[in-house]
Amino acid sequence: MRVGLEAFLLLSAVLFSIGVYGAVSKRSAVQVIMSLELISIAVMVNMVAFARFVTPDRGTGWAFTLFAMVVSAAEVGVGLALVLAIYRRRHTAELPELDELKG
Amino acid sequence: MDWILAIPALPTLSFALLLVMSRQVRMRMLWLPVASIFGSLILSIVAFAQVWPGGSEEAIWHAGWEFAELAGKPVDLSVALDPVAAVMLLVVTIVGAAVQVYSLGYMHREEREGWYFAVLSLFTAAMLMLVLSDSLLLTFMMWEMMGLCSYLLIGFWFENEGPRKASQKAFLTTRVGDLGFLIALFAIWGVVGSFSYEEVLHTVGDWPAAVAAVAGFGLLWAAMGKSAQVPLQVWLPDAMAGPTPASALIHAATMVAAGVYVVARMLPVLMVTPWIMQTTLVVGLTTALLGGLLAAVQHDVKKVLAYSTISQLGLMFVALGAANAEVALFHLTTHAFFKSLLFLGAGVIIHAAHTQDMRFMGGLRRHMPITTVTFTIGSLALAAVFPLSGFFSKDEIVATLLHEHHYVSAGVVLLASLVTAFYVARMLFRVFTGPEQTKHLSEGHMSMLAPMSVLAFITLVLGFASPTFANFLGGHGVWPDPFVAAISMTSAGAGLALGWWFYGRRSAVVNTAIWKRRLGYAYDALAQKLYFDAVYDHVFIRPFMLGATLLAVFDMRRLDGFVNLVAATWVRICTISWRVDVTAIDGVVNGVASAAKGTGSWMRGLQNGVIQRYQRLVLGAVIVLVLVVFMVKGV
Repeated sequence: MRVGLEAFLLLSAVLFSIGVYGAVSKRSAVQVIMSLELISIAVMVNMVAFARFVTPDRGTGWAFTLFAMVVSAAEVGVGLALVLAIYRRRHTAELPELDELKG
Repeated sequence: MDWILAIPALPTLSFALLLVMSRQVRMRMLWLPVASIFGSLILSIVAFAQVWPGGSEEAIWHAGWEFAELAGKPVDLSVALDPVAAVMLLVVTIVGAAVQVYSLGYMHREEREGWYFAVLSLFTAAMLMLVLSDSLLLTFMMWEMMGLCSYLLIGFWFENEGPRKASQKAFLTTRVGDLGFLIALFAIWGVVGSFSYEEVLHTVGDWPAAVAAVAGFGLLWAAMGKSAQVPLQVWLPDAMAGPTPASALIHAATMVAAGVYVVARMLPVLMVTPWIMQTTLVVGLTTALLGGLLAAVQHDVKKVLAYSTISQLGLMFVALGAANAEVALFHLTTHAFFKSLLFLGAGVIIHAAHTQDMRFMGGLRRHMPITTVTFTIGSLALAAVFPLSGFFSKDEIVATLLHEHHYVSAGVVLLASLVTAFYVARMLFRVFTGPEQTKHLSEGHMSMLAPMSVLAFITLVLGFASPTFANFLGGHGVWPDPFVAAISMTSAGAGLALGWWFYGRRSAVVNTAIWKRRLGYAYDALAQKLYFDAVYDHVFIRPFMLGATLLAVFDMRRLDGFVNLVAATWVRICTISWRVDVTAIDGVVNGVASAAKGTGSWMRGLQNGVIQRYQRLVLGAVIVLVLVVFMVKGV
């Protein structure tokens, strides 16, 4: 059986679901950032798959995917820096305890 | 001559000024009423000089104002100055001035002294206006004003039960008399159409007999109330609850004499009907004798004087009943001076002895020489001893009766003067002689002794003016007939001797218990004021109170019941309305409020600040949205 577009889309959907689950359910901020990365990776998998199977003659899809990967790496850097900063201030990185927005 | 109006206006003015002041300011302004009464006194003397030598009944000055219009006819309030008015002005202002000066000492440091002087001024003004009045309506107004002042002064110490009851009794009893005055006014207006003295007295011969009788009896009845004649005498002894100087002015010298004065003025109206004149005579004789007898058993020195006033006023009525107004007015004048002197003396005695009961006095003459002399002069004038003023005026009454051939009446008058002399002697011996029963006796203040001395001097000399007085009033004055004088002196002397035999012989405290036992029922009857008060209590006051109680019960049960029913119904309606308000209307309002509150607190739970909770909500919302879109589009 040849690996087609559907297989990649399925993988992407699985990664996205895992990411969403982790983002809404994990207590640790680090784990949530990791889950967010999974979501963005699912997007990138999608993009690469569509570029390979729908428009193989143009390089736009790969180029954008590379951009997204760079941006995603920068995001992680910023995100972890925020987590560190929060940890220093509050001595915790557990998200449920960071409820200062409480109305 | 309109300055004569200033005579009553000055005391009125001082009353009006005192009325608007505060109690503290009044206390410092006591010179004002005294100054105004002295102003009136000086003007009265000038007015008297203007009238001098008199000799006619014509007025030398007249003034009037239209007060109202009644059935097309003007109702005038008018004043006039004639010899009678001039004499009365002098009497009122002299006694008034003496009493006011005396009151400065007597009422000193009394809390409501200012109010006392204000009412005294108003009273003086009313009495002066009454003697100047030339209109029965004005007379009636002033008559009532004096009644009001009398009420206020009797009840001056209204904190106590006694003065309060006495003031009501005086006011209501004289009001019974005033009814007669009103009826007389109606009758006179009906036939004459005017209240002017002149018109009334000139037309009196043409009146229908019945009207003349009604008017005459009405006036007599009114005078009997004001002058405390039997059977309306009950209020005057109780009126002694007021301040003593006020008693001297109002209940001895002037107001009680107003009845005599008005009847003297209106004598022609009474003379139309013979039986009214006889009634006047009988009332006067009865009062003179009973008043004297009652005075003889009183222990309270002021009550002795009060009954003596009643008795002396009775003598004036006797003179009126014998159709001799000049004699009545002369006795009124002499009596005004010596009786006010006696009351003022009694005030000093009461202050010194700290009691009004003569049984606890005695020996005052050793410590109070001036009071003793002046009081004795007044007492002997009252007992009609030559040459004091009372002798001349009483002698004239006896002479008039003998001249008119009223021999029985003359006998009664002589008996009354015997009784008078007896109680005078009793009073003098009880108070001034015998053993001392009070410590620290001392003479009164100069401001009290000076007016008494003036009055005593007038009492000493006034008698010799007797023929002049009658001539001045337009009558024919004569010196006393030696025969008549001898008779009246004998009766007075017998009374004094009897009094001395009972009370003056021994120097110990007199004990009369044995005599009271021997006299038995007679003494009891006198001690019970001849049962007048008891009879009035049973015949008038108790049935009236019973009726009032019944009406009160009816009022409470029926009228109040209805009113309360209406009120209770209304309360019930209001209760229902209140329930509706609380449950339905407030329920809706509160329901809306609590719904909003519940929603709010539920929604508040969502905003818990946990970001992942928000994320979950957003996720759920997106899923729902997607499902909706799919269902709508039908995939």
